[in-house]
Amino acid sequence: MPLFGNFCLIFALALAAYSFVVGAIASRRRDAAGARLNETARRAGMATFFAVTGAAVALIWASVTNDFSVAYIYGHSNRALPVAYKVAALWSGQEGSLLFWSWLLSGYGFVLRLRHKVDQRLVAVASVILAGIQIFFLLLVNYAANPFGLMDRVMADGKGLNILLQYAEMVIHPPMLYLGYVGFSVPFAFALAALIMKYPGEKWIHITRRWTIVTWLFLSVGITLGAHWAYAVLGWGGYWGWDPVENASLFPWLTGTAFLHSVMMQEKRGMMKVWNVWLIFITFMLTILGTLMTRSGIISSVHAFAESPIGTWFYIFLAIVIVVCVVAYALNRKHLKSENALESLVSRESSFMFNNLLLVGACFTVLCGTFFPILSEWVRDRKMTVGAPFFNKVFIPVGLLLLLLTAMGPLLAWRNTSFGSIKRNFAIPFGLSLITAIALVVIGVRPLHDLAQFFAWIGLSLAVMMVVTVASEFLRGGRVLQGKTGGWLLGGIYHLGRRNTRRYGGYVAHVGVALFVVGLCGLAFTRDQEQEMALHDKLQVGNYTLINQAYTQDEDDRYRSDTALLDVYQGDKYLGQLNPEIRYYKPDGQPDHIVANRSTLREDLYVVYEGNNPDNGRPIIKAFINPLVNWVWIGVMVMILGTSFALVPNAAPITSPVTAPAAVPAKQMQPVGAAK
Amino acid sequence: MKRLAQVSVLMCALVLLMGADNATDRYNAIGGKIMCSCGCSEMLLKCNHVGCPNSSQMLQDLKVNLQRSSNDDDVLKFFRDNWGVTSVVEPASHGFELLAWIMPPAALALGLGLVLMIVRTWRLRPAHAVAEGPALDPKLEAFRARARKETEI
Repeated sequence: MPLFGNFCLIFALALAAYSFVVGAIASRRRDAAGARLNETARRAGMATFFAVTGAAVALIWASVTNDFSVAYIYGHSNRALPVAYKVAALWSGQEGSLLFWSWLLSGYGFVLRLRHKVDQRLVAVASVILAGIQIFFLLLVNYAANPFGLMDRVMADGKGLNILLQYAEMVIHPPMLYLGYVGFSVPFAFALAALIMKYPGEKWIHITRRWTIVTWLFLSVGITLGAHWAYAVLGWGGYWGWDPVENASLFPWLTGTAFLHSVMMQEKRGMMKVWNVWLIFITFMLTILGTLMTRSGIISSVHAFAESPIGTWFYIFLAIVIVVCVVAYALNRKHLKSENALESLVSRESSFMFNNLLLVGACFTVLCGTFFPILSEWVRDRKMTVGAPFFNKVFIPVGLLLLLLTAMGPLLAWRNTSFGSIKRNFAIPFGLSLITAIALVVIGVRPLHDLAQFFAWIGLSLAVMMVVTVASEFLRGGRVLQGKTGGWLLGGIYHLGRRNTRRYGGYVAHVGVALFVVGLCGLAFTRDQEQEMALHDKLQVGNYTLINQAYTQDEDDRYRSDTALLDVYQGDKYLGQLNPEIRYYKPDGQPDHIVANRSTLREDLYVVYEGNNPDNGRPIIKAFINPLVNWVWIGVMVMILGTSFALVPNAAPITSPVTAPAAVPAKQMQPVGAAK
Repeated sequence: MKRLAQVSVLMCALVLLMGADNATDRYNAIGGKIMCSCGCSEMLLKCNHVGCPNSSQMLQDLKVNLQRSSNDDDVLKFFRDNWGVTSVVEPASHGFELLAWIMPPAALALGLGLVLMIVRTWRLRPAHAVAEGPALDPKLEAFRARARKETEI
């Protein structure tokens, strides 16, 4: 199998190189021979997918059949590993994950080339660009990080997969994240192709619209799964730690979100063409930067692999991408002139512009914090750490401004919005937001007491404003259609959504963002308590009381475990039992916390078995009260729902009954030419 | 007038409520910038795990230094010097590290300037374009505006 895998990789590289070189030559020719050459390049590109699939299957097969002659399988699998995790070994290590990147890219390329009839000339050039990216990743897996490297001697069993990664979400999280990362290659390739070809119109945007939305969706799901995994498995009580690798996934998400909004300006008004092209270029570069950060170890992170020489490859590739983009832009920039101009600062267009500014600003803010330790080391030769307090202070204000714009944007009209319309549309959302702010203070939020509560206070008020804004948009549009069709208001809202799925799907996604923000605001009110607990000891956290009723020990061939049996009371009311557990996996005793979580919409009671006091063997229990956490996951689900709805094709417009003009009596009519 | 007075009283009450107790604000603010150096990756004020070899001493140092100096930077400098540079997870507000604080807002301000410049260029442009084109019938334009308004669903 390793031999077959290596053969597939070499063959895939040859096919991608053929697709790139011949495709580039063919795209410059307009004759029949050029068309035939182009077809061979297209087919070679499609065949690349099958070749890389062969390599991926070979690696999975080696893992499933416990082929420990392959060094990668020895390092990331073992005999006792369940089959699902053996399959997941494909993306568990550096070499495998690069093969996985390459495989997904070839898969996207396959679909793109299969659908070449949408625009054969544009797809041909985009396909050459994709082949170029494919060559880079195939060079990596062939020469720099080969997953089929052999051991000096065959071992009886492998080292196995990291215990923390043996979790159902971890089987889905990396593929989702990678589908998001790799997916941005497609709009990038189309944007560059359209620029190089001086392609007229916005066709590249129409073709890539669904690609971009799907890619963004995958990235969002991937990031959320990672956050949920951190919350459920790592046992530190949180879900986002501003770790450099977490940040790396946020960079392309932020610029990708900006792109999703700004392309609407180009589609509707022919504006922001330069910005859109650069936004997608930068988004692609950030996906490469993110992969570089994870793979090269340039920044120390709990997620990053050890420092490896492939960093140099990524630097070179990134430099090539930057040069190609700059040259293509410099040569063709005249093609990107706006067709329309902004008519008013108070308009939907300007809200998109400011939204883009803030999203890119937010991305820059996170980039600054993430790379500042490296800058500090270069300039001063002194290490430093930039942690959550910094990111919270600089990122959250930008995020709040963005929320304000998200709440206001849908109420602004294209081209121009009159003062009267602003007054009429904003009165209710603003009023309810103000009432929320006052109510929050009355129920005990202290915005001036600490910064976190201040941010939460603003965030919750703006979240209400966002939801009311969207609701008012649905109601207003629904009433118009209700008037046309004469049915129920809900029916009107349904037809409204179906007529413009992208717009109203987007609004539903905005509601998801508002709910997500509600969840984030809960972080300001987190409480925790850690305590050593002998039998029948009590731990008080907030209004919960935990009583240690017993603790047990267990052992099997995989791990030894300690479990605490804790009765939970809220005041005098018995709520049930929580059983936090700690497992020590064999052979090296790596600990793994099995968190006990009592989750409600109001708050989570999150209990962790931290370990045992070495002096007396008593369990050490840590309990957190995490308010509103569930709203984070609910918000993301609503975002997914809205984004998925935006992908549904629009329904045909409703034909409202037209009142026919009153029939003219026959005697009043005169035949043509009868007039004297 | 009566309503205005009621609103003013309500606002004053809210502001008073917002302030609440701030006796420990400085302790919380500076403690929130320091990470426990035992390797637990917890912020100092959050690190309450049993048997932590460092947090008690670090918390004691924090209290002593807050009493000793009214300058927050001096307190953070003490921690950098005595507990290692990585114990402070927020860049300092002076010297080279000030750059980390300045860059994001500076970039946003620059971006805002650029956006306003582009908007200005755009707003100037259609004046010429319209001048060169045929004169628009204001009646027709009114109908167009109405159609746009009524069909924007």
